[in-house]
Amino acid sequence: MAVTAQEPGAAEPDVVTVEDERADRTFAPSPLGWVARGAVWVAIAYVVLVLPLSFEGFEVQQFSQAVIYGIIGLSLNVLLGYVGQISLGHQAFVGIGAFASAYMVSVQNQPFHVAVLVAMAVGAGQALVLGGVSLRIRGLYFALVTLAYGLVAEQNVFQIEELTGGGQGQPAPKPGGFESDWRYYYLCLAFLAVVLWIDWRMLKTKGGRALLALRENPRVAATFGINVRLLNLFAFVVSGAFAGLGGALLAHNDTFVSPEVWNFNLALVFVIMTVVGGLRSRVGVVIGSAFFALLGYFIDKFTFLEDLLANIPGTPDLTAELAPLVIGPLLLLLTLTTFPGGIGQQIRPIQGWLRGGRFDLSDRGPKEVQISDVRA
Amino acid sequence: MSVLEARNCSIRFGGVQAARDVSIAIGEWEIVGIIGPNGAGKTTTFNMITGFYTPDAGTIWYRGQDVTGLGVHERTALGMGRTFQNVGLVKGSTVRENLLTAQHLKADYGVLAGMLGAPRTFVEERTLGRRAEALVEILRLGDLLDTQVAGLPYGVLKRVEVATVLATDPDVLLLDEPSSGMGPEEAHRLGDTLLDLRREFGLSIAMIEHHVPLVVRVCDYVYCLNFGQMLAEGKPEEVRNHPEVVTAYMGEDAEDPAVQALEGQLESLVED
Repeated sequence: MAVTAQEPGAAEPDVVTVEDERADRTFAPSPLGWVARGAVWVAIAYVVLVLPLSFEGFEVQQFSQAVIYGIIGLSLNVLLGYVGQISLGHQAFVGIGAFASAYMVSVQNQPFHVAVLVAMAVGAGQALVLGGVSLRIRGLYFALVTLAYGLVAEQNVFQIEELTGGGQGQPAPKPGGFESDWRYYYLCLAFLAVVLWIDWRMLKTKGGRALLALRENPRVAATFGINVRLLNLFAFVVSGAFAGLGGALLAHNDTFVSPEVWNFNLALVFVIMTVVGGLRSRVGVVIGSAFFALLGYFIDKFTFLEDLLANIPGTPDLTAELAPLVIGPLLLLLTLTTFPGGIGQQIRPIQGWLRGGRFDLSDRGPKEVQISDVRA
Repeated sequence: MSVLEARNCSIRFGGVQAARDVSIAIGEWEIVGIIGPNGAGKTTTFNMITGFYTPDAGTIWYRGQDVTGLGVHERTALGMGRTFQNVGLVKGSTVRENLLTAQHLKADYGVLAGMLGAPRTFVEERTLGRRAEALVEILRLGDLLDTQVAGLPYGVLKRVEVATVLATDPDVLLLDEPSSGMGPEEAHRLGDTLLDLRREFGLSIAMIEHHVPLVVRVCDYVYCLNFGQMLAEGKPEEVRNHPEVVTAYMGEDAEDPAVQALEGQLESLVED
């Protein structure tokens, strides 16, 4: 069906061609290439699935925490990466999820799966209320609302004795069948896999596409028939549910929830690990989150890192706990100024290669586009 | 009955009366042109029709239904499709992704089902993909399917934009300066495209346009706005020769020889 009729005077046809940068889409690795890729896949699987077994219980807990941070990072990625809104109160979502789950198990004597579902529902419910009120504002103002929410939760919700056991905290035993640390580690991995699947499917279907469109250009999104406010709210709810899930898993990983840890520092770490991991890059976010979760552990384990920290001028009492708050901003600065795609951008060549493509160092991912609304 | 109608719409922004008592009707299969100098309220009128602004007074009617209170996305669902002056596309995404996004309402599954990976969504996604490919074929953008939108030339972007609007499956197209950034030849071809689109898809079209020859050639009816008010309306030739329209475009001293020379150029363009 030739709609654009050719004028006799118009000599050149208006079919546009651009040079394809990755000309050979038909590239297929040699058998040896496949073996090499397979070996790397096996190595990754070994590190994730088998290696943790050779560690002590306490250390496996650290690895579980890294996996859970991956879920939390993905939760923030939905908000920061897809919606384009920053939450500085995400620790409240995670913390309230943790307490909700611990409370359901310890006080209400509910099974683990019910507790997790409740934690997710509580996270989603908070997001629904907070988002319903505040998602009409954007950027810094929304960040301030979430910041205030986090502080309010710290002063109020985490002081409810029934829920949090007052200052002593709430016990949160591991679920039946997953009492050992490494079994629980696999449970966390399974949850991470589910979250990754949902995130992947979301972006491949209309919901995720609509989110990306409205982040960049809400007016255009609306003319595409997208209900901008509803979808924004929906994404926030998804993010809240993931955060609640992360909180519940954290609670049972430590078998105890203390009200003290859910402070603004943690919110900052969550934001930094997501941005450094690389917004809109699933694998990058998980790696970044795991890195920040394990940072303190590594510093404790490898004494030379501790010495290194002690030698940073002007920071005499830098402990392993505070290290993420020093190293994080440094990495954040590096991300914002030099590598806007974070870790996700750095590992793209490797990802492409593992999928059976060329090792293409020039693959920097989709070009970041200056977000500008249309004139209307 | 008109497909789309604005009845006596007025809107004020602070001290500026951007539109006063504007009435526009787009009939079935009609191509309507809206002309006027810069700041005349043309885009404002479009914004009231498509729901970005709610008029202070007046109503918008779509096939006999009062849609004044509906949101932008609800009007899209009814069958309004619009383009923007400076290209309404998701620039960070590829042409294909834009075409898929534009089929948001065509995708026959819920957002939640898509997230959870319901089998039906995989089937439906393939259907959407085929529709995207067909549209790209129609507007002859085939090679660009997997190219990121940012970086494409302006004239091409305008065509991609038309493709995405068609992907929303509209009954009425509202085009905001479709020929901007095009040379006379390209604009001429655009005219053909519009006429063909009307024939192929049974569309009614309203367009804001500065390119007078294009308006005269394809429009059945023309409205001319100035300072937010309707200056003249009628058949293209009538409006073009309307003395007040000439004054609005050329200024008070239309007697000036330089202005007359300009007018002469305009005339010759039309005759081409």
